[in-house]
Amino acid sequence: MARVYVSSVINAPAARVWARVRDFNGLPNWHPAIAESRIENGEPADKVGCIRAFSLRNGDRLREQLLGLSDYDMFCTYSILDSPMPLTNYVATLRLTPVTDQDRTFIEWSADFDCQPDREAELVSGIGGNVFQGGFDALKRAFGG
Amino acid sequence: MPKVVRSTIIDVPVDRLWAVVRDFNAHDQYHPVVATSLIERGHPVDRVGCVRRFTLRDGSELREQLLALSDLEMSYSYCLLDTPIPLFNYVAHIRLLPVTDGNRSFWHWESRFTTPPGREAELARMVGDEVYVAGMEAVRQLPQLMREGH
Repeated sequence: MARVYVSSVINAPAARVWARVRDFNGLPNWHPAIAESRIENGEPADKVGCIRAFSLRNGDRLREQLLGLSDYDMFCTYSILDSPMPLTNYVATLRLTPVTDQDRTFIEWSADFDCQPDREAELVSGIGGNVFQGGFDALKRAFGG
Repeated sequence: MPKVVRSTIIDVPVDRLWAVVRDFNAHDQYHPVVATSLIERGHPVDRVGCVRRFTLRDGSELREQLLALSDLEMSYSYCLLDTPIPLFNYVAHIRLLPVTDGNRSFWHWESRFTTPPGREAELARMVGDEVYVAGMEAVRQLPQLMREGH
């Protein structure tokens, strides 16, 4: 089992950051690697169990399923159903926690998955760097730091 | 039942911050309101169930018991046993998490307790600001936690 963990600090109140990231169909609105997204079967994007089908700017297509969503604890958990990446059993969580000092946001994005041992380092650095930290960098720019 | 939460970012790698924060008997070395502290019965400071007895600068004496400690989660929980301050059923939790972006630390400190009627806001502010924020700010200034070159 491989694990990726990336965390950062966004200079905005957690409620504002959450309003931006809680939309399971909203990746194209804030993540620079995502080109377009839709929810299958016309379901609401906050219906637990819904599936998002989206494409990256490089053309890759993925399907992911919403496993858990909490407006109270501000986290979202999802799994990958289909992707071009050589991995299985991928489950990820995006979580926000208020930083009371200066009313900022502590943001964590983690994933667990299985893969061939010789692919693990490449997958961990690609997911942690391009996907997770890439998303954080975009949020930091959007919220001014 | 009041819930108090204070959290901050400390600009030091989390393993170095944890080495300071996990010591249940070190608050008299940095916290501005704590004068002296000892672990009762000579127990190890990281023995779950140990009791720290400490005095504040105003002379009042308190006893707190370590309820849980995890080096894996970088967290611990403790409760108040005896205090002249009217805080009842007081249980607090401290947790550190790494901020990988910048190799810093997130520090979360929270508690729940009951108070005499009408004193909830006053005591919640006292616990949050004079205990938690003051403790975090004192740790932030510790020389051994300063970054190289700062």
